[in-house]
Amino acid sequence: METIRMIFKRIVLLSTVVVIATFLLSLLMRLLPGDPAAVLVPNAPEELRALIREETGLSKGIFGYYWQWLSGMLQGDFGKYYLNGGYRPVSEVLKKCLPPSLFLILYAQIVALALSIPLGLISAYKENSRFDRITSSVLFTAVSIPAFASGIILSLIFAVQLGWVDPIGYESPFGNPVEHFKLMILPVTSLAIGLTSSYTRLLRTDVIATLKEDYVTMAASKGISNKRVLWKHVFRPSSTTLLTSAALNMGGLIGGTIIVEIIFVIPGIGYEIAYSIGARQIVAMQTLIALVSFAYVFFNSTVDLITNITDPRTRERRV
Amino acid sequence: MSSTEQIATTDIAPVQKARKKRPFGFYLAGFWVALILFLAVFGDFLPGPQWDESFYDSLGVAPFHQSHILGTTLDGYDMYSGLVHGARLSVFVALVAVIVGGAIGTVIGVASAYFRGKIDVVITMAFNIMLSIPNLVLSLALISVLAYSDENNPASTTRRVGVLMLSLTIVIIPILGRIARGATLQWSSREFVLASKSMGTTNFTIIRKHILPNVAPAILAIGFLAIGSVIIVEGSLAVLGIGVPGGGSWGSMLANGRGNIAFSPWEVYLPAGAIALTVISCNWFGDYVRKALDQRESKI
Repeated sequence: METIRMIFKRIVLLSTVVVIATFLLSLLMRLLPGDPAAVLVPNAPEELRALIREETGLSKGIFGYYWQWLSGMLQGDFGKYYLNGGYRPVSEVLKKCLPPSLFLILYAQIVALALSIPLGLISAYKENSRFDRITSSVLFTAVSIPAFASGIILSLIFAVQLGWVDPIGYESPFGNPVEHFKLMILPVTSLAIGLTSSYTRLLRTDVIATLKEDYVTMAASKGISNKRVLWKHVFRPSSTTLLTSAALNMGGLIGGTIIVEIIFVIPGIGYEIAYSIGARQIVAMQTLIALVSFAYVFFNSTVDLITNITDPRTRERRV
Repeated sequence: MSSTEQIATTDIAPVQKARKKRPFGFYLAGFWVALILFLAVFGDFLPGPQWDESFYDSLGVAPFHQSHILGTTLDGYDMYSGLVHGARLSVFVALVAVIVGGAIGTVIGVASAYFRGKIDVVITMAFNIMLSIPNLVLSLALISVLAYSDENNPASTTRRVGVLMLSLTIVIIPILGRIARGATLQWSSREFVLASKSMGTTNFTIIRKHILPNVAPAILAIGFLAIGSVIIVEGSLAVLGIGVPGGGSWGSMLANGRGNIAFSPWEVYLPAGAIALTVISCNWFGDYVRKALDQRESKI
């Protein structure tokens, strides 16, 4: 019963946050000086502008506009891009731009976890050894290099100078899987660098704490091999923070891939957001940003809820 | 009363003094930050080529050229003076955003956690709303609206820089505000705060004397990290083409040099290196403060 009440409370909180955030977003869009319809279609005749004003609800004032946008969103009408002479529904664009972003995030997470789990375990096990110190300083340096710089430099070295892969572009994994993975190597690397670094540090701190526990000494004294103790007795209890943080990152990464997508010209959601901002497509921009924020809040609360239910110890910590 | 305070600060608040023997990285990071700050303030008085003058006789020369120590861009702009000039804007924007945003966030966060009640619920909600939009996307949206320009009256560079600073400040407020709120929640339920309250000390004095000194280190640690990330966001915005125009900052230099990367790669390497070193130094200081505070890690 308590769990159901908690879930209900979360849902109410989540929808309030999303509604207010999107309302503020639409308010922000209306702050643009001048007629919003003129911003959307700068060179169109007055009749077309009036039509667009009617269609988007821009003629109805801030609340009317927001209400029309929100009810449209709930019914699956995500607004349109108004381009010179024609229009393109945002839902159509979304269908095309979501898969590249999701693949990018998925691969980056897999690479980062695959690297950081062994690195974190070993460097915690050999705390303050040479391996530990070198790993932490290399990772510390790596996390400070911004994704745009590492992306540009990686593409210069491996694509332009060495010519191993193409510097830009995207290929669907279903049409041409080999080319898909080849094109994804560089963007995934530049995204995964920072992730690996923060995951390794999280895991290392937790493993060091777990290694001090009595049951680890007990297991070791029973004569179980170090490898088995590390994997079976230490890794599982230490991995909660890591997995929570990895799950939380999913939401943040949807917006965070924007710069990598621009540099490697991957037609993902970040690319579309930047494009719609550049083209001043305020309706499409509002929809895309709202979706990213919704995904972010949704992931955060879901992860929070799951850890709350599965590990009651965390409850009192989140006052 | 003074004796109570004495006991409180020595017994309960284990604010660690910095160790006498500081690690090597401390001096390294300190040297770089001092150098950047010095160049940002006094760069214009130092001898050297003009940053916005194109040298037509030496287009795109490599670093370690006799008159251009760090080389020039393909358009003949001197890299060294460009970097020095860019340091001013990059550092200025980051410092203003973090200091102003941090101050506002701290005031809001401390007040909301100290007084609790309905105000706290509203402020937490406001922070959550602002944090629900990824910070690069939020600053993108803010800048594109606030620095709006059309062909008839384009936004000036000053206005763009102002808008950039304002947007980054708005982005910083909830990040540091949440840290301040969390730390205050921890400290305001301590016995020495209760004791002080029961003696009739005003809320303002309690906050000033008991809460703020304990909350400050946590904010400082995250503040250093925030300076690093603001520099990165500024660079990212420049790469997206809506930051400072015309090579006026490090990110802007990098964005301009991107097209010439195959011919003069130092145009990208040098600003990227300057950004990376500054961010590393800031992160290092943040980490140092955090380690000095982190009970869990220092106990081990």
